Amino acid sequence: MSGPPLLRRRLVFVLGKGGVGKTTVAGAMALGLADAGHHTLLVEVAGEQRSEALFGVAPPAGVTPEEVRPNLDMLSIDSERATEEYLARQLPMRPLVELMVRSRAFHQVAQAAPGLSELVTMGKVWDFATAVSDGVPVWQYIVVDAPATGHGIALLEVAGHVHELARSGPIREQAGAIERVIHHPAATGVVVVATPEDLAVSEAIEAVATLRDRGLPVAAAIMNAVRSSTVMATDEPPLAAVVAGAGADAERAAARAALDTLVAARHDADETTSLRVGTGLPVALLPQVPDLRPGSGGLERLAAALMADPALAGGT
Amino acid sequence: MTTDLLALVEGCRVVVVVGAGGVGKTTVSAALALGLASRGARVAVVTIDPARRLAAALGIDALGDTPHRVDAAHVEAAGMPMRGTMDAIQLDPRATFDRLVAREAPDAAARDRILSNRIYQHLSGTVAGAQEFMAVERLHELSASGDYDVVVLDTPPARNALDFLDAPERMTRFVEGRGLRLLLGPRGGAGRLGWRALQAGGSMVMSVLERLTGAELIRDIAEFLQSFDGMYQGFSDRAAGVKDLLVSEGTRFVVVTGPRPEPSAEARALWQRLQADHYPLGALVVNRVHTHPKGGDAAPRDLASLLADAGAADPAGLAARATEALEAARARARADRHEIDALMTALGTPALVVVPALDTDPVEVAGIASITRALGRT
Repeated sequence: MSGPPLLRRRLVFVLGKGGVGKTTVAGAMALGLADAGHHTLLVEVAGEQRSEALFGVAPPAGVTPEEVRPNLDMLSIDSERATEEYLARQLPMRPLVELMVRSRAFHQVAQAAPGLSELVTMGKVWDFATAVSDGVPVWQYIVVDAPATGHGIALLEVAGHVHELARSGPIREQAGAIERVIHHPAATGVVVVATPEDLAVSEAIEAVATLRDRGLPVAAAIMNAVRSSTVMATDEPPLAAVVAGAGADAERAAARAALDTLVAARHDADETTSLRVGTGLPVALLPQVPDLRPGSGGLERLAAALMADPALAGGT
Repeated sequence: MTTDLLALVEGCRVVVVVGAGGVGKTTVSAALALGLASRGARVAVVTIDPARRLAAALGIDALGDTPHRVDAAHVEAAGMPMRGTMDAIQLDPRATFDRLVAREAPDAAARDRILSNRIYQHLSGTVAGAQEFMAVERLHELSASGDYDVVVLDTPPARNALDFLDAPERMTRFVEGRGLRLLLGPRGGAGRLGWRALQAGGSMVMSVLERLTGAELIRDIAEFLQSFDGMYQGFSDRAAGVKDLLVSEGTRFVVVTGPRPEPSAEARALWQRLQADHYPLGALVVNRVHTHPKGGDAAPRDLASLLADAGAADPAGLAARATEALEAARARARADRHEIDALMTALGTPALVVVPALDTDPVEVAGIASITRALGRT
């Protein structure tokens, strides 16, 4: 795959199967970029406000980002408000906008016109990506916490579909402009998140194949919640001997627990290899963190790990 | 104290498995179906998950819209008797929708008009709830076929795990297309009072829309909605039939979660919504629960000397690391227990099934069978 490393691209879409920690990864990445001094925007879509659990502050729902930490702005894009805003920009008169928004026919078309709400969502992201103040971009990075795999890919593809479906009119041109940015590997990077489980890894591999097939600029994969062990291979025989021996329950349980961490770490390393081989992508690793609540320092740990990972930052 | 889920749903005609993404819903569905089939039922399991590994685990090359039979020998080799049959089906929303259109269309020409419409081609992927609607439609189809004693539905991953409950109604409203029809011509709502005023406002809406999207798109959408003329009743009857099936005596909802705060919050909301709307609730399944290591909470005392006897190079260091690992395992088990207790309290102690975390992923029939055993306490 051509293109610079993920973290040299300004617009990052975080994709993955439900439950793999997309929101955590997107939040950690945005936090890491902000802490490194880049003005960063973290975006949630489709009415989600999941990053509240990480930051202790809900992203504002609507169309206007708000600062939640130094250098870090957040927003949960509300597609209805975005549609309204879009119409207001296209139409000269406010009453006409009101008429449209209240019209049942409009909502019907919006529902039937494939992917309109996804399109206005992407249009909003595009607005942010191209926003300039005093000749410099307002946000140096925009991290989008995309919906679960299938819906996430649909979101990335929507501009292309609309460009194809609407044969004329401004929407066709706008969709075309969005499509060009989304497909451009110098501007946009898609990162696919997995956890070290067979099903999550195989779905990530399939997602990457689909993304490539559709010409979307997939740049890296992230293996989240990787377990490590402090036990080494040479420790295995004595631990196994204690497990099999006649010691008390607590002693044998401790030896068993230690062996389990080794088995888990090996398992996760194997899954990581599968992900790397199956996707052909650089794979960044995130450790399993027991506590991610605001103030626990868990998210900060993940942010630091992401920023330091050569799979995202590029080798030196 | 935990429930035998297989006994609980035995004799049911439909089992709907719901839960947040990533909790192992598909695996639990497969394990449940396997258990019922093992006990003698003719079972169909409908999954949306395209994970090929699960298909492979069931000994099937690839899942598809048509039922694939799970080989009994494969199951018996994993130490589980197979008295009934198990068919697995992967939901293909488009194929299901095509069949629905074919069945409800008044004639072949109407059917072909819809199937070849440009909007229709993109529809099942994009209209909100279309996929969810297709899932329950497929459930209804299979249940009504008479080929199965029980159909297990692994619900699609959705923003809101209960989208599929509202999907039939939403789809019916969409097909009905009242708002748009009103604007497209008098045939939908002609002769009604205020029609003119509506049309005046409406034509402005239409002209604005046409300006934005080009007239072709609007025409395509209009054509698409018009081609559903005469099918509204069929869709509406079907939606009512699906709803009846979902609330019937012979249906049970199973809510799956993991012992972590996020899926638990979702499970709690799911359970409460199902309860409020009088859907027949079966049980709460907490998947991948860490069990407390043997030996209670006692601290290991002679671990270092035992390790030294066993030839460890650095017995004291290794003992310290092993003790740390034990503490971590105990803390995980306590956290899981705590999460389950909180959930039980919040939901008024529903029937509970705890599935222990497996050492490895359930990628072989043996793995799925071990979950089946946890579900059935056998």
